[in-house]
Amino acid sequence: MMIRKEIIERNPLLNLGFDREYILSDGGLGAVLAHAGVGKTALLVQTALHAMMHEQPVLHVSLNDAVSKVDLWYRELFNDMASKYDSAEITQYWENMLHYRFIMTFRVEGFSVPKLEERLADLMQQNIFKPHTVILDGLKFDESGRGLLVELKEMAGKYAMRIWCTVHTHRHEPPKEDGLPLSFLHVADLFDVLVQLSSRGPEVYIKALKGQSPDSRQDALLLDPATMLIKS
Amino acid sequence: MKFDDQKIRNIGISAHIDSGKTTLSERILFYTKRIHAIHDVKGKDGVGATMDSMDLEKERGITIASAATYCEWKGHEINIIDTPGHVDFTIEVERSLRVLDGAILVLCSVGGVQSQSITVDQQMKRYKVPCIAFINKCDRSGANPFRVIEQLRTKLGHNAVAMQIPVGLETELEGVVDLVAMKAVYFDGESGEEVRVEDIPPHLRAEAAAKREALVDAASLFSDELTEAILEEKEISPELLYAALRRGTLKRELTPVYMGSAYKNKAIQPLLDGVTYLLPAPSEVENVALDMNQNEEPVVLTGDPEKPIIALAFKLEDGQYGQLTYIRVYEGTIEKGATIVNVRNGKKVKVGRVVRMHADQMEDVDSLRAGYIGALFGIECSSGDTFVSPGINMTMTSMYVPKPVISLAIVPKDNKAQMAMSKALNRFSKEDPTFKTHVDPETNETIIEGMGELHLDIYVERMKREYNAEVTTGNPRVAYRETITQRADFNYTHKKQTGGSGQFGRIAGYIEPISDAEFVFENKIFGGAIPTQYIPACEKGFRQSMAKGPKLEFPITGVKVVIDDGSSHPVDSSDMAFQAAARGAFRDAYLRAKPVVHEPIMKVVVESPTEFQGSVMGLLNQRRGMIIGSQDEGVMCVIESQVPLGEMFGFSTVLRSATQGKAQFTMEFALYRQVPQSIAEKIALEAARNKKTAA
Repeated sequence: MMIRKEIIERNPLLNLGFDREYILSDGGLGAVLAHAGVGKTALLVQTALHAMMHEQPVLHVSLNDAVSKVDLWYRELFNDMASKYDSAEITQYWENMLHYRFIMTFRVEGFSVPKLEERLADLMQQNIFKPHTVILDGLKFDESGRGLLVELKEMAGKYAMRIWCTVHTHRHEPPKEDGLPLSFLHVADLFDVLVQLSSRGPEVYIKALKGQSPDSRQDALLLDPATMLIKS
Repeated sequence: MKFDDQKIRNIGISAHIDSGKTTLSERILFYTKRIHAIHDVKGKDGVGATMDSMDLEKERGITIASAATYCEWKGHEINIIDTPGHVDFTIEVERSLRVLDGAILVLCSVGGVQSQSITVDQQMKRYKVPCIAFINKCDRSGANPFRVIEQLRTKLGHNAVAMQIPVGLETELEGVVDLVAMKAVYFDGESGEEVRVEDIPPHLRAEAAAKREALVDAASLFSDELTEAILEEKEISPELLYAALRRGTLKRELTPVYMGSAYKNKAIQPLLDGVTYLLPAPSEVENVALDMNQNEEPVVLTGDPEKPIIALAFKLEDGQYGQLTYIRVYEGTIEKGATIVNVRNGKKVKVGRVVRMHADQMEDVDSLRAGYIGALFGIECSSGDTFVSPGINMTMTSMYVPKPVISLAIVPKDNKAQMAMSKALNRFSKEDPTFKTHVDPETNETIIEGMGELHLDIYVERMKREYNAEVTTGNPRVAYRETITQRADFNYTHKKQTGGSGQFGRIAGYIEPISDAEFVFENKIFGGAIPTQYIPACEKGFRQSMAKGPKLEFPITGVKVVIDDGSSHPVDSSDMAFQAAARGAFRDAYLRAKPVVHEPIMKVVVESPTEFQGSVMGLLNQRRGMIIGSQDEGVMCVIESQVPLGEMFGFSTVLRSATQGKAQFTMEFALYRQVPQSIAEKIALEAARNKKTAA
């Protein structure tokens, strides 16, 4: 399938020089840092599509958006890439991929790791869904504290999952030398992989901040803002 | 009857099932003095709500057919269409929205924006109907109108802004604070009919001031005059504020939100004020007709009552005096005794009685002017027909009608029932374009088709009650379809020589799958290998083949046929011969094109208390459902899934028992999807068995 090949070849995380196919190992925690509106969710949806194409189940947990809106993210990103391929074949492919995705939404104030674990247990015990990757979108790091992330990391280890989070950085807060914002430092050690998205005019760049192999490229890569894939 | 177009409002009341819209309609009729007593839905007094006129509606506590009524409020004439909330009846909602100029979107203050509200909202968007929202049931425990306003913003994308704040909530609900007048409004008397206006209670003053500021801010985007007044810190008059809010509402860029409790008779009168202040008059809405003489060129209607008539029949009902046709007049004036023409069949009809409806009672009037909704007696037509003055050839835009997804065989008990049944079916299929009926030529059974189990149930029940037609029903059958998955070539010769002139036709080409159309025929023959006069016969032959797959006999969709070669005989070739050749070619290629069966997949949304989330997901999963996601809403959760229709029979009973009756679900058609191999085999066996029984 050509679309699958394209998504793999243009996957920005794979091109940043991380060792593994899914970047994170079992029990690993990763985060995408960016200002509002740069494309954190889109990048993680792209990562999710990559896993779904490899028939790896993805649980998308959103604390901001309704199920229908999250679903729209996936459809739009996929359709952007798929528009140049045969439509009957693509529709069938998309239908098959959907079996590997589950969306859960919580209200920010109602979210906790035990609650997520309880919902997850409902799904796993009945053999409905066992995630390989979890996308957690909308967690407020400056307010959540370290405890929640420690619980999250434990849960990732317990179920052999990898969890990706979005981290909203503030424009008024200049980053430290390693690129990390001050409000994130208290939890940075819990993450195995950190990548940063930044925009310069209409262009979006991605840069690895933590976790890539030492001999890999250190400079930022240019992304196509419509698909969040490497610009071809 | 007064004639001031600016004082007419044609509105609908749309919402999720059980948000209390029939109760709201009832209260509106009471306060506008159209009725003199209030009867509750499922009421203990046995009378039932006035807008639910059918026995069945009263019994089940749901609204099936839209009842139209009109009332007067502070010099304005308001025509109201009460619309059904269940998804199975959405054609009713769609038809109402087509003829309405504005709507009240009713939301439950506890349930908030529910799945059906989303469907209804999409329909309103499709027909560009401006709306105001009413958050009902503020007296219920857990009521939180501001959470619902937030959901209106996040889930439906409305620029929702509060027009009021509640004075007390839940059992403490006393009234509302009007943020335009900055006064507290209370509703006294036995049925809340006495409106008492007082100063805002001190503990609500700060909140009211903040919410008013948000309201003025939102309105200022639609009025320079208002912006100026804000900047110059002038006093903002209610007229100025309403004018700005109205402009935003009419553009569908602002949704003013009212709140209260219809059941407890709280804050219905301010909502009626809102209807008159903020929703459009007929002339403020652009209506478009299609000019049949100008290749269906769209023509914007002026709404001038002096011009020739253009009117749309949007609903039919069988009353005791014959057929009652609900009609909306877009241009001209329909008068008693006038002659009008049905554009669909060109038939001229004379207008007999003209009435205005109040649920199942009526009031005779002499005429209906542009902008009005009323009903005509004794006019034979179908729902969706356009009526015009003689000499005009315009039609109102056709309405979107979804295809049926479920069918049921019905057998009358005796001859008498047979007669009554055909009468009923004739009526129902005229009233409701999503309800279809035909006789299966093989089994000789009468088949009815519709949009869901409940949809067909209601019609079977109505047959018994209204027409005395006792019928037995078979198992519901799912509307499966076949399609092909790969290209296959054909080169087929039809040749017959049995004395006299023979038959000859050869067709070559290929069939291939397409996803965006049911059938496409392409002629790529150059040089006359098949003479031009036989090409339509070829297309006809292929089309005939699409009606029934050669293997499982389900209708075929998504096929493109291309013919690129063939041959003919000067004497033996004929239309018949080429039709037969096309059928043979299709049969020949079809099986090599790897046919598969597709089944209707329904979007099923379950709302359940969180503690049952696991079991509900289990139930959906057992039914081959694919769970799209789950939404946590505090004590409640919403599970969205796609489930094959064939697996949904009896789901309501199972869901009730698994959740102690606390969960509810809505279901609507989503898409067709390929059936898994194991199920396809079962379907094939079943189809073979049916064929055998029929033989």
